[in-house]
Amino acid sequence: MTPKPRIVLVDDHGLFLAGVRAELGDAVDVVGEAGTVAEAVPLIKELDPDVVLLDVHLPDGSGDAIVNAVAPDRPGVRFLALSVSDAAEDVISVIRAGARGYVTKTISGPELAAAIERVAAGDAVFSPRLAGFVLDAFRAGERVGGDAELDELTPREREVLQLIARGYMYKEIAARLSLSVKTVESHVSNVLRKLQLSTRHELTRWATEHRLV
Amino acid sequence: MALPRFARPTEGRVIAGVCAGIAQTLAVDVTLVRLVFALLALAGGAGILLYLALWSYGSSTRPWWALLVLAAGVLLLHAFGLSDRAVGGIALVATGLALVWHRRGTLRPDSRRAYAGLALAGLGVVLLLKGEGGTTTLLPPGAVAGALLLVAGPWLWRLAVERDAERTARIRTEERAEVAARVHDSVLQTLALIQRHATEPRRVASLARRQERELRGWLYEDRPLGDEQASLVAALSAAAAEVEELHGVRIELASAGDCPLDEGAQAVVLAAREAMANAAKFSGVEQVDVYIEAGEDEIAVFVRDRGSGFDRAAVPPDRRGLAESIERRLERAGGRATVVAAPGEGTEIELRLPRRRP
Repeated sequence: MTPKPRIVLVDDHGLFLAGVRAELGDAVDVVGEAGTVAEAVPLIKELDPDVVLLDVHLPDGSGDAIVNAVAPDRPGVRFLALSVSDAAEDVISVIRAGARGYVTKTISGPELAAAIERVAAGDAVFSPRLAGFVLDAFRAGERVGGDAELDELTPREREVLQLIARGYMYKEIAARLSLSVKTVESHVSNVLRKLQLSTRHELTRWATEHRLV
Repeated sequence: MALPRFARPTEGRVIAGVCAGIAQTLAVDVTLVRLVFALLALAGGAGILLYLALWSYGSSTRPWWALLVLAAGVLLLHAFGLSDRAVGGIALVATGLALVWHRRGTLRPDSRRAYAGLALAGLGVVLLLKGEGGTTTLLPPGAVAGALLLVAGPWLWRLAVERDAERTARIRTEERAEVAARVHDSVLQTLALIQRHATEPRRVASLARRQERELRGWLYEDRPLGDEQASLVAALSAAAAEVEELHGVRIELASAGDCPLDEGAQAVVLAAREAMANAAKFSGVEQVDVYIEAGEDEIAVFVRDRGSGFDRAAVPPDRRGLAESIERRLERAGGRATVVAAPGEGTEIELRLPRRRP
């Protein structure tokens, strides 16, 4: 059994923080909480947690500002974005800043705990909506120049993402595609890498055109 | 309209500081003001009376100054050589005007004083017409028009301004009322319901969820994708919201691509709605996942639950929902519905419809 991940919660809604703490219970070790970008950056640098659970919108800035400020000093800290906002531009900016995943605030306690563990282990976590968005942004036949390897999804990655969008969990996806869970995880991590590094302008264009997913 | 007040400065005054005060208020040279008053004083002493009037205006709240202004005007007109009758007429008009304009901020058409003023001004106009009728031909109609304009103009203007102000105030009140009504009809009602059903988590969750959707819809209703009539995804979101509300489940909607809501797409929406409702009613779980993929060649919608699932053979033939509303409907539209279900493993209904090339 691996030790419990140490996490920092960053959210300006006290009620929500309390709820998350209660729902996560013993699954994780909450070492700190912050409500603003200004509070969060020094706190995360000091505590050096495994995972930061990050609200996309904060009173003094957005979640990607924290990721950008912390990542150079603490490369080991992983970020999981958690938001009520389904707006693609919010999601995509925090993912491209380096967050390892994105889930919506309606996620259940056990699912959130599983997502945190997955991110702590270095894997990626996509909500169904994010998967749908990525599929849309990486549509076949729309590529204009750029790095082909980074700008296309493989058929397998596409299949995995489609199943995520349909609400399947990694274990179910593995069973359905006759893969190991580890392989599914690596497909998703590859997609995340492409999402972060791709120069496809659909990624930015899509985000501004579609104000919601 | 409030006439500007002016302060009489204590420094640089010659008599009572009236000229200095006016010069300050109008930002002109005090010598110029004094020159004007001196010239007016030559016109039968009108300047002196005007000076006294302004002194009174600046230092007392009682309207004595108006009488003095009237007297100054009369003197001035006499000095210009107008007949007694004409001067009398103009004086009456002026008095009428003063009455109409009195209590400037609170003038209402029904004010008795205003009617008296109008009558007086009318009398003055008549006097003017009679007095000058023989000598000049232009004066009477000009005087009538001028007098009417003078009397009615400010009044009409004031009415217009007041109406504008009232309209702005009314619009603001209506907006407030609309927000209040929205909050009352939706948020407050929901909060009340949640308090009443505090012991039923499922009901509370569904209430909160519905409220969330509604509030989001209202806050962002001008979003381009918000039109239910226009697109497949929007129509499916609306259908999902209805099912959530009816059956108290949570439906997670994800999508890649979108397309216009043509006849075929409408059939998909109706079938998907039935699939969602079935999942909500029979699966026994609280969450349903829906994924919509609208590509160039095909529309695909997946409705999935992790519930009890079912054995197709065990479904009684009189339960027509699945066969009639989902499978047959899609076949008629040229598509295909596939059901993947087994007891204990949840259900997924897959709807596929080829897109016709326009």
